[in-house]
Amino acid sequence: MTVLRPKNAAEVAATLRETNGPVRLIGSGSQQDRLPAAPDAVRIELAGLDAIERFDAGDQTCTVGPGTTLAAIQAAAEAENLGLPCALPQTGTAGNTAGGLFANDPIGALTAGGPTPRSSLLGIDAVLADGAEFRSGARVTKSVAGFDLHKLFVGSRGRLFAVTRLHLRLKPLPRSTRWFRCEPQPIADALARFQTLRGLPAPPAAVHLVRDGNGSPHCRVVGRFEGRESFVNAMHRTHELPPGEPITRLLLTPTPGGEVLAGILRPSRTTDLLALTNDDSAFILHGGGRFELATPNAAASDALLQQLPELGGHATIVAGEPTRRGTGTPIDPGQQRLSEELSRKLDPDGKLV
Amino acid sequence: MGSIQDRLTKLLGRDRVLHSPDALLAWECDGFTVHRGRPLAVVLPDSTAEVQAVLQLLHAAEVPFVPRGAGTCLSGGPTAAGDAVVVDCSRMRRVLEVSTVDLYAIVEPGVVNLDLTTAVHEHGLHYAPDPSSQSVCTIGGNLAENSGGPHCFKYGMTTDHVLGALVVLPDGSLARLGDTAGPRAPHGLDLAGVFTGSEGTFGIATEITVRLSRDPEAIRTLLASFSTMADACRTVSDIVAAGLVPAALEILDRATIRAVEASVYRAGYPEDAAAVLLVELDGPELVVAEETEEIAAITQRHDALRLEEASDPKERKRLWKGRKGAFGAMGRLNTDLYVLDGVVPRTRLEDALNGIEAIAQRYEVVLTNVFHAGDGNLHPNISFDGRDPEQVKRVVAAGKEILELCVELGGSITGEHGVGTEKIDHVPMMFRESDLEVMARVRGVFDPTGRCNPGKAIPERNACAEPAKWPQMVARVLDETEETFGPDGGRAP
Ligand SMILES: Cc1cc2nc3c(=O)[nH]c(=O)nc-3n(C[C@H](O)[C@H](O)[C@H](O)COP(=O)(O)OP(=O)(O)OC[C@H]3O[C@@H](n4cnc5c(N)ncnc54)[C@H](O)[C@@H]3O)c2cc1C
Repeated sequence: MTVLRPKNAAEVAATLRETNGPVRLIGSGSQQDRLPAAPDAVRIELAGLDAIERFDAGDQTCTVGPGTTLAAIQAAAEAENLGLPCALPQTGTAGNTAGGLFANDPIGALTAGGPTPRSSLLGIDAVLADGAEFRSGARVTKSVAGFDLHKLFVGSRGRLFAVTRLHLRLKPLPRSTRWFRCEPQPIADALARFQTLRGLPAPPAAVHLVRDGNGSPHCRVVGRFEGRESFVNAMHRTHELPPGEPITRLLLTPTPGGEVLAGILRPSRTTDLLALTNDDSAFILHGGGRFELATPNAAASDALLQQLPELGGHATIVAGEPTRRGTGTPIDPGQQRLSEELSRKLDPDGKLV
Repeated sequence: MGSIQDRLTKLLGRDRVLHSPDALLAWECDGFTVHRGRPLAVVLPDSTAEVQAVLQLLHAAEVPFVPRGAGTCLSGGPTAAGDAVVVDCSRMRRVLEVSTVDLYAIVEPGVVNLDLTTAVHEHGLHYAPDPSSQSVCTIGGNLAENSGGPHCFKYGMTTDHVLGALVVLPDGSLARLGDTAGPRAPHGLDLAGVFTGSEGTFGIATEITVRLSRDPEAIRTLLASFSTMADACRTVSDIVAAGLVPAALEILDRATIRAVEASVYRAGYPEDAAAVLLVELDGPELVVAEETEEIAAITQRHDALRLEEASDPKERKRLWKGRKGAFGAMGRLNTDLYVLDGVVPRTRLEDALNGIEAIAQRYEVVLTNVFHAGDGNLHPNISFDGRDPEQVKRVVAAGKEILELCVELGGSITGEHGVGTEKIDHVPMMFRESDLEVMARVRGVFDPTGRCNPGKAIPERNACAEPAKWPQMVARVLDETEETFGPDGGRAP
């Protein structure tokens, strides 16, 4: 396997220009086992572009290379009482890179209307598969000049272009954070609680509906309130929320022979979705509507992928047999056509896989 | 075959296809009145199917078209050249679905921004993006412009509230970008994200799915007045540095205060102040109470002349009246008003304002400032007499230099009003040829023949250099706009 490690944007451009055949762009590499396999691809690792190039505490923005680790950004930000709104330090992904976080965007918002990688990305510098460099967005928190090509980067999994610089929005660190962890309940009760918290005028900073996959059909609601201490305490009191440890398992791993689907769903359809699954399969629904669901085998995944569109949801296989990863619910034909055309326009030789 | 107008009339009927010169007058421009164009025709479709039929017909006839909402755009976005048909979506104003559980609404593009909030108000919900034009502008126009508003400092721009859109592409085919579940499937691309803010150049959105937000428990509005602009700006910096995130942070300068106080939008702003800062706090009652105290202390540290506080709707409405009516009030300073829209990093606000003042002095133009201070989004407004070509020349040159200054300070040529035709020549201040080439490729995916709102948003490749067009906005138009909006056209206090 060929691995190339460019150190700056010019080297990324030259590397891409000079590489023939399939290319897989890599950050820290931690999510590669959740992507479709690309055994023949040349790996271009962007971890070397790891500089925090600009940090403007007053404007609450920064500019980083795609290989900068989330831990490094968080450390720089915390020194200024700031944080990266969409980072998930509690998942043990601190070694992951900024580029990887945005390219994968596995979780979406942790709460209704909460910050996402999408809402935290202000602009990018990038390189197309043929080595042509371009930029979009700006480094300020508000700009509508030009088309928002940086939106296309979020969740693109490196399929459209390589990003060599990211302009990010930061946010003030909360004055207080308190986790809660409710006892397992029947799904209807847990879902009602999840919806109540999600629908609060000032909802928790994160809220998750979790089924552990340990044989019990029950789900529990886990999350955290952030903000002023008086508010955080009042919320815990009013909603009778038992204190808990931070949730650390935001991404599921498959059981032997099983698979994991990552999807998005309107929370009110959760009971319908779970009615289609085994009672003991692990499941996590995040406040923004993203979910992960473990299935016992490929046949069960296929059945769910067929049924999900009727529930208004979408999903793709992210863990299991390498050849099955990336299989997903059908995309709207018009959108599919546009997506294929977009890939053709930006990467005519289909180099990026 | 018949003319294009005849064929459109056959499709939609006589009353929904306008093509006589008199009938077209109202569609000759948007809020940016200098770039005028009389379209070939205006069509008023009622449904997605009708928009499709119109675009199919125009596709076959190779006729360009321009989507339009309420026409309040300030950069020439919905203004058509003489060879184009305007597809006016203002009749498509049904709220199709509201989910009070999953917190979304599906609306047609002609739904007026404030009408959506009114429609969901009884459920304790609202639609967060609130351009000052919100009682007139449409969700379709907001989507195309990625509009902001005073409250987007805390709540984000339109793009942060769009979950999806059903789009009629320029060849008449349909694409569903995102949906009630979210803007993209986990294995899909964020096409809804790139469509938002594309200034009507990618297609026509005929159904838009937006996120709804819960009404805050409490809202409090503060008005702090200062003897220097620097104190007002530093107060904003300190509020943000303290980790506070007010819903709105708006500054008006002395000239604007005086114009407002001399107008029907009189709000009781202190005329001895060099600047007033409007701060709105919202959230749980106890949080708002604590934050109010903290902000009061910060304003004191910066020698505020006065601090007024309003928590009841009537008083809040009064404090907002001056801010919302500012453009209309300034329209009275001269016959014409040019509303600029630049952004600088918030930390550079003072530098920007000093630079802008120097530019105004050098070009001898009358300039006032109203701005979204939290976002560093400046609206320098130049009042002038558009009948005097020499004045116009100076105004144009000053405007261009101000935007250059914003970019030099690390900002942007537009924070919310879009490029349209107004700033099309200024786009190269921010983007290189290679950036624009990639943007043109993406636009070509949606509109391969370049017939959808041509000449807007990004300069066309190989377009002959257009002669400089001067920005100019007629005060009369603004007066009419303000009258329609009402002075408190923000979120209902
Ligand atoms: C007094 C005043 C105050 C304002 N305040 C603000 C403010 O606070 N914040 C702000 O951001 N803007 C503000 N604006 C600018 C303007 O109101 C916004 O840009 C608004 O979003 C335009 O909406 P509209 O319905 O009037 O769209 P139009 O002006 O009709 O069109 C705007 C653009 O949208 C495209 N378009 C319209 N409908 C569709 C559709 N269905 N599909 C695809 N494209 C479409 C058009 O082609 C055009 O390019 C203000 C304007 C005025 C006059």
